[in-house]
Order: sequence, then C-alpha cells, then structure tokens
Amino acid sequence: MTTERLRIAATGRSPEVDFDFDSGVLRLKGESYPDDVAAFFGPVLGALRSYLGESAPQPIRFDMELMYFNSSSAKALMNVFQMLEGAAKQGRPVVVNWYHEPDDEAMQELGEDFSLDLQHVKFNLKESPAGGGR
Amino acid sequence: MDAVLLAQEYSAFKRELDQKGIIFSFSGYLSEGILYSLGEALREKMALEEMDGPTVRRVFSVFVEQMQNIVRYSAEKLARDDPQPIELSAGMVTIGTENDTFFIVCGNAVHNRDVPRLRERLEFLKGLDREGIKTHYREQLRENPEEGSRGATIGLIEIARRASQPIEYDFAEMDGGKSFFCLKVRV
Repeated sequence: MTTERLRIAATGRSPEVDFDFDSGVLRLKGESYPDDVAAFFGPVLGALRSYLGESAPQPIRFDMELMYFNSSSAKALMNVFQMLEGAAKQGRPVVVNWYHEPDDEAMQELGEDFSLDLQHVKFNLKESPAGGGR
Repeated sequence: MDAVLLAQEYSAFKRELDQKGIIFSFSGYLSEGILYSLGEALREKMALEEMDGPTVRRVFSVFVEQMQNIVRYSAEKLARDDPQPIELSAGMVTIGTENDTFFIVCGNAVHNRDVPRLRERLEFLKGLDREGIKTHYREQLRENPEEGSRGATIGLIEIARRASQPIEYDFAEMDGGKSFFCLKVRV
C-alpha cells in the first residue's frame, strides 16, 4: 500500500502542506504557529513516517518555504529533519531546499541551525523572492 | 459616576498609556484566539509604519512566544472540558515603542514553587551573548522537552534571540503562594 498524497490548505496560522509522495516532492509553505502543534503536525509526521517506511526508495525533495514558525513548530520540524536524515542514511537520495528572503538573516540562520547534523541529506539554502508573503 | 468624570478618568488613563508609547495593552483572560487577533493587529500596525519584513517577524515572534507562555503557564486559569473545551489564562500584554525600539511586556501569575527554576533560566539567558544564545538554541532544538514544560525552554531562548537588548524580568509576591512574573523584551 502506498501513502496517499497529503494536502492541507493554509490557514492564518498553519502552513500549506503538500506532500506529493508519488513524485517525492514534499512542501511546507506559509507560516506556522498553530494553537495546537501536536494536532497539526501529528498527521503530517504520521504520513511522512508511513511514506518513508515503504520499500521503494525513490528520491525525495523537501521544499521548506516557511516565512515564520514559532518555537513549538521548530521542535516538530526538527522531527521531520531527523526522519529525512534517517532515510538518507539508509541510502535514499534526499534534498532539502530551505528558502529564505534575501534580507531575512534570522530565517537563514535557522536554516543553519536545522542543517547542523545533516550528513546524508543534501541541504541547500535558497533565496526566495522578497515580498512573497508578509 | 458623573459622565464628565467618567470621560476624564478614562482619558487620563488613555493619556498615560499614550505617554508611555503604548500601542496596545490587554489585561484579562487570554486565549489562543486573542493571541491571533492581537497578533494580526500588531502586524497591521507595523505594516502601516512600513517596517521591513524581518523586523516585523522578529517583533511578531517575541509577541507569539510571550503570549503562548501566558496561555500555557499562567497560574490563574479558568477551564472546562464540556460541552466544548475552553481554557482561559489570566495575564497581561503591553506593546509599545521607546526610543525607536519596540518593547513587549508580558505579565502573569506563576506558582512560587516554579519561580527558582524560571529565574535560573532567565538569568542564564541574560548572561549569554549572541553566539551563546545561538548555540543554546541549537542544543535545545535537539533535546526532548522537559516534563510539563510544553516547550517553554526553547520559547524563552527564541525570545532572547530576537531581542536587541538583554531581556528584563521581575517577580512580585502575590497572595496564595503565587508571584506576579513580568518579562520585558526590546526588539
């Protein structure tokens, strides 16, 4: 059984999720400070775990396009990164693209914080066009 | 009360807030819904002042972490589970500008038994320089949350990281084994 594509529309305080497991392109976009972090990220982490458990080790591209996330979301995101690193360690090609606005040093620095112990995931810091969000 | 005095009393109250550079101040029961609404108002105000995106997000980030600390850790809460769950946490939040920098002050009751650990954490954060805060954040990002913390440790580090000056805090004894905790952050 294959994991179904996970699509969640953005709200004022939770990001758009589009995990297209067939193509291996996973995306988080927008802002993340949900009132209940466990309720929001639980299904997201669950779907990812199920997908990574499947046998076909197809390449994964994770596009991280969050403009802002709070500290509780940061812990959940760290789980995502640890799961991706685990998959990459087992030989699955994984690329993470961490987008930040050109003048947003804080988001750039957060990218560095998250990428520190990624040894098997290929991590790219990328500039997104300014004014793409608030 | 006489209507004339009523207006006088409240205009004096408002003038006092204005003179302190306060943009808005909320005291009472806070919830995630109020956090969201006040946060939107704050961002709209900053957008009108044409502040750049990263500064807006720094102020907003401190605001969110401060508010969530009250919502989660206030020692004065009203809650019910049925028919639909409600959780209200007493506290106050004040946002303003002072010498061209934003400041955010939050206050809420905490249990006296929690004061030493909170004080120790804040004092530790105050003593760190920018690099030290960054390293500490990176460590805590990879730690499992402490029992009963609901993520406060990394929340306080996030606050200290976005601050442009060292954080200020204070405690004042209240009745019933509680203290009023206050945290002022300049961004």
